[in-house]
Amino acid sequence: MFAAPPTIPDDPADALAAVGALRRLSDRVEDAAVERAVLDGWSWVEVAEALGVTRQAVHKKHARRLHAAGISKGAR
Amino acid sequence: MAFERFTSDARAAVVGAREQAHTLGHHTVESEHLLLALASRPEFDALGLHHDELANALAQEEERSLAAVGLAVGELELAVAARAPRKLQFATSAKLALQRALAIALARGDRRLDAGHVLLGVLAAQHGRVPRVLRIAGIDAEELRTQL
Repeated sequence: MFAAPPTIPDDPADALAAVGALRRLSDRVEDAAVERAVLDGWSWVEVAEALGVTRQAVHKKHARRLHAAGISKGAR
Repeated sequence: MAFERFTSDARAAVVGAREQAHTLGHHTVESEHLLLALASRPEFDALGLHHDELANALAQEEERSLAAVGLAVGELELAVAARAPRKLQFATSAKLALQRALAIALARGDRRLDAGHVLLGVLAAQHGRVPRVLRIAGIDAEELRTQL
């Protein structure tokens, strides 16, 4: 009647590989989303709250690359 | 890690791996980046290890792994102007590959660790992305190891 709901792959190697792929995807989406937010004038505090992490965490992860690209102007 | 034992070729592979990770927008340096860096070397290209083919296989592996959990984001265009800073950290898979390379060099009684040892260390992995990528690219890791 209904298609079987999606599940994780039977082969543990495939299931674990999916976790790695999701982590890399998450990293890429985060990079793009944080860059967009900072370009739109969001402060590190706002970005951090939206991501549910500390300001220090988001700053440590993104400040250097965004600063190097001339996108952020340092700590806010 | 005993980097003073690394030949300039082996060091170049380590530096190249970091470049590969950076180019792909990855946040860490993994064994698959060592593999891509080594595949850029003519002597390994001659053994059937082609960089572009492996880069393509790497992308395919990613797409298949995401599809396996119901995600079709192969075409997701994520424009990122600011890439990760150059100094990317070596993660576990790359460290393991280098540790294996060193163990192989020691076991063979070689005084220096060269690019061939690094490749052997990379190919020795039974799990993770490298064996999956090699399978997609149609490369027999065991056979390749006998030629090194």
